[in-house]
Amino acid sequence: MKTRSYKPLLPLFLIYSLLILIAVAVPGMWQPVAFFMFYVALGQAFNIFMGLTGYVDFGYVAFLGLGAYGMAIAIKYFSSLGLISILLGILLAVVMSILLSLAVGAVALRLRGAYFAIATIGVNEGFRYLIEGVRLWGGSEGIVLSGLMRRTFGRETANLLSTFFSDILIIAIAILAAMTTIWILNRKMGYALLALREDEDAARVMGINVTKYKIMAFITSASFAGLIGAVAWTLKLTYVFPEDVFNIHYTVEAIVIVMLGGAGTLLGPVVGGLIYGVLKYYLSVVFPGIQLLILAPMLILTIIAFPEGIVGFIKKKGKKSRISCYLR
Amino acid sequence: MVFAENLISNLFYGALLGSIYGVATMGLSLIFGVLRIVNVGHGAFIMIGAFTAFWMFTLYSLPPVAVIPIALVFGLAIGFIAFQAVIRRLVDAPELSTLLATFGIGIFIEELAKLVWGADYVGFSWDIGTLYLGPVTVSYSKILAFFCSVLVAALLYLWFTKTKLGNAIRAVVQDREGAVVCGINVNRIFALSFSIGIGLTVLSGVLVTLFVPVGINVYMGGDYTLKAFVISVLGGLDSPWGAFIAGFLFGLFENGSYAILGLIPGVEPFALTRFVAFAFLLIILLVKPTGLLGGGE
Repeated sequence: MKTRSYKPLLPLFLIYSLLILIAVAVPGMWQPVAFFMFYVALGQAFNIFMGLTGYVDFGYVAFLGLGAYGMAIAIKYFSSLGLISILLGILLAVVMSILLSLAVGAVALRLRGAYFAIATIGVNEGFRYLIEGVRLWGGSEGIVLSGLMRRTFGRETANLLSTFFSDILIIAIAILAAMTTIWILNRKMGYALLALREDEDAARVMGINVTKYKIMAFITSASFAGLIGAVAWTLKLTYVFPEDVFNIHYTVEAIVIVMLGGAGTLLGPVVGGLIYGVLKYYLSVVFPGIQLLILAPMLILTIIAFPEGIVGFIKKKGKKSRISCYLR
Repeated sequence: MVFAENLISNLFYGALLGSIYGVATMGLSLIFGVLRIVNVGHGAFIMIGAFTAFWMFTLYSLPPVAVIPIALVFGLAIGFIAFQAVIRRLVDAPELSTLLATFGIGIFIEELAKLVWGADYVGFSWDIGTLYLGPVTVSYSKILAFFCSVLVAALLYLWFTKTKLGNAIRAVVQDREGAVVCGINVNRIFALSFSIGIGLTVLSGVLVTLFVPVGINVYMGGDYTLKAFVISVLGGLDSPWGAFIAGFLFGLFENGSYAILGLIPGVEPFALTRFVAFAFLLIILLVKPTGLLGGGE
């Protein structure tokens, strides 16, 4: 293991520690920081697939939704086990999203570009309407857990779970996803994915098993998404509704974050997630109701002015300088 | 017997609605065919058309059929502005950029519309009588909408096949480089096709209002975007004619399966119909990615 190639972790951890410090030290900042960290984690998780392979998964939110359902089912049916049901929920969330990613991967990853994007929308919407249509897991009424959680875990613990523990877990997931990203980038898989992203046919001709690496990135990214859904939605909000957890809006937010920061970079999702989260939070405070009206033109401007994202742009500018080894 | 009547009436309605779906998807297919851009903000333009019809009806009591040309011109203008401001700079950019940019445009339009019209559901009803035909009960305004959409599709077809400009657009769809070599100003064709695509979409929004009397809302577009995706894939993605026929089939399929799925106890037929539609989409993409009605690669 070469320490040089792990240098970009330094600025990453600097940002994370600064955020945690702000959350702990400044009163009233815990919830906003948790809000930003959700977007950072979402960006990090999505970047592993979209950033590294160049495929746009418009149905990405399905993995978050399934993770949310995994946690909800575990709490609903195994709440007699006490807090072990939370662990079980995390496990179930990961297993369920991995299973879905295998199924989607087998079908959709044969397609490219716009066809892939549309197919993944089909998977997400189809799944949502299947749950509503055959009244699976409560159908369109969803699963509401707040009463059950208060009864079985006690009011104090239930409150702690949704206002503190879930936020800690989100930060942990964000860090874990970032570590996974740099681990992939530094290995053969990272180079294979880079070749794949630049030219899939050429990579295949060069003898790279593109299908294998694509599916590996897809599964990794999907399992992180399942974790985020389980923790940030079910555990924090204590309810799951199909029209919320399969809402294509979250996929788009993930795409915006990755593009804003720089697709395929390690630091991009952190920068993009923070900018997006901060803007969304404070714009809705200062200009309630019209935050999207400001966000949308900014998004368009970013795409035109910095097509490689902010981190990608800085990386290109500072190629020869001393900071370049800290950027990735 | 009740079921048979139900099915017939649903299929008739599906055929009428399907023609609207067809026109509502032609713009998406045209833009993808010429510019290779998937317009993710597609539904927002349908919404603009619906509100145009709503305003013209409530402010000037203009019937929706008379609003069609106004909506077309309005849509052409919006499309031209959007192209000049944003899309022109992204024609050669990677797919991701254009997906995001069109999404951003869609949100921007929705939010602007929210400032103008508010977030409430509005509606109007244009009553010109009802047709009773055996088991089928349908208002004349819907039948008129059907004929209008067929007329629009037919006129567009004539324009594409008989005029020089239309042929130029088809040439760019087939082979961009080849068209440049033949002396076609491709940038002008891009601007023109994008404007026409948006114009058609806004126009279709007017026709949509005749089917959703009280469902006009600034966020109504998302549903139509998803449906348009399914339909355009069905029709081969880059062919407006394929899209029109596929929209027709989708309308029949959607309303027919609603009647059939309603027989199964314990399910929600409305949601299950959507599920069947998306499952169908995936199967088509797997078996024949160029679309059910599209040609070879």
